[in-house]
Amino acid sequence: MLFFCVISLRFQQPSNYDTNSKFKAVFLYNFTRYFEWSDKKKVGNFVIYVVGKNENLISELKTLASKKKVGNQDIEIKNSYAFDASINANIIFLLSDQSKSLADITSKNKSKSTLVVAENANACKAGSSINFVVVENKLKFEYSKNNAIKAGLKTNDDIKALAINIE
Amino acid sequence: MSKWRNIIKTLTYSILMLCVVNGFAQNDRLNRAQQLLQSKNADLAKLAIDSVIVNPETKGDYVSWTTRAYIYFEIYKRSDKLKLNSPLRDTIISSLKRSNSLKPDETFATNNKKLLSNISAGYFNLSKVLLMDSVNYKNSVVAYNRFKENFILAEPGTNFSSRDIEYYLAAGSLYSDIFNKDNKNTSAQEIAKITLLKVLDIQPENPSANINLGIMYYNQAVNLGKGLDYGADFSQIDVVQENIIKLAKQAEQFIIKVYKVDNKNVKAVEALHSIYKMLNDKAKEEEFKKKCKELNIKID
Repeated sequence: MLFFCVISLRFQQPSNYDTNSKFKAVFLYNFTRYFEWSDKKKVGNFVIYVVGKNENLISELKTLASKKKVGNQDIEIKNSYAFDASINANIIFLLSDQSKSLADITSKNKSKSTLVVAENANACKAGSSINFVVVENKLKFEYSKNNAIKAGLKTNDDIKALAINIE
Repeated sequence: MSKWRNIIKTLTYSILMLCVVNGFAQNDRLNRAQQLLQSKNADLAKLAIDSVIVNPETKGDYVSWTTRAYIYFEIYKRSDKLKLNSPLRDTIISSLKRSNSLKPDETFATNNKKLLSNISAGYFNLSKVLLMDSVNYKNSVVAYNRFKENFILAEPGTNFSSRDIEYYLAAGSLYSDIFNKDNKNTSAQEIAKITLLKVLDIQPENPSANINLGIMYYNQAVNLGKGLDYGADFSQIDVVQENIIKLAKQAEQFIIKVYKVDNKNVKAVEALHSIYKMLNDKAKEEEFKKKCKELNIKID
């Protein structure tokens, strides 16, 4: 009986895989289907720039970049803890730990054909085009068409049906 | 007339003598079988005893049946110990049951009990081998149930609750391990669920079963997330999110039971942190992050 007793005391280990980071990566890739970037941004790599610290997300995005393209463009992932204005990105994803930089980022990226995505309360009111929110445990997103237009992006209204619209 | 009377008398004596001789012959066969058993000649002993137990003179004698059980046991030991289904073992058990039904004396009753205990221990060992070495739960649980059936014949009134908990926990741990390593192995997952739920039927607060079940549901949710294609559209994401939330909430139900009894249970605290993170519940995630730090649990 002792044998079973020893085996039965074994505990399973919860996986440390971060499903939220996976969802954010899949969402970010999906956004590329609903916006059109300027011609200048259609050459070279399609840059997704993450501002802030989230290693799991960066890892997911790098996997995404190795598997997918945006049109003919390869996806390139850039990351810095503080915002670096010299990085010319198609998407800037501002993480919650750097939310204070949102106003600076949106003002510096006006008409530059850059989709600004945030994950902070009221981020769309502060200039972000898209903002991740949690509704009943589910990751969803708010969308501001006005902010996207101000950012110099051509928009597709299909995304409005999928988003929580802010205007 | 007197001549006929003498003939009938002689015939009656003859018939009586034949019966007595036959009775002696049967008892001789029983003795012979016992001698053969003692001299380790079980195969010949088997032939002798099989004729003893069909004879009307001896088939109602518990000595014949116990002797038969021991003779068959000698043969069983040689070849059938690791067989789940063994006609030899079945004969031993049925012979012992028959002997017990014939109200044996104390010595024979004790011997019957010893042999039944031995047979049930054999089934127990077999259940262990089938589970741990062959990873064959289906057969292992058959052996385990037979162990209980025979053990209770030897020790009536035995309560198997604690043994059941240990057995089903061992099976549950083993199969959830298999499932966690290979999330496509849904039959392993099913066995793990069934066995761990059996533990909870007996002991609803059992920490190992609750934690292992909770973590299995959590890991199942993780696997759904992992399997999501990067190119999935919003509707597909929505379905996966729905399923992940359901599984995470199921996981929470099991783990929280352990946490409520012991709020310093390291496994429960660690798992709840992961679950609340998955559920995007920032407040609870932070709460359990702090508890993890207090308990020196490494996370992230």
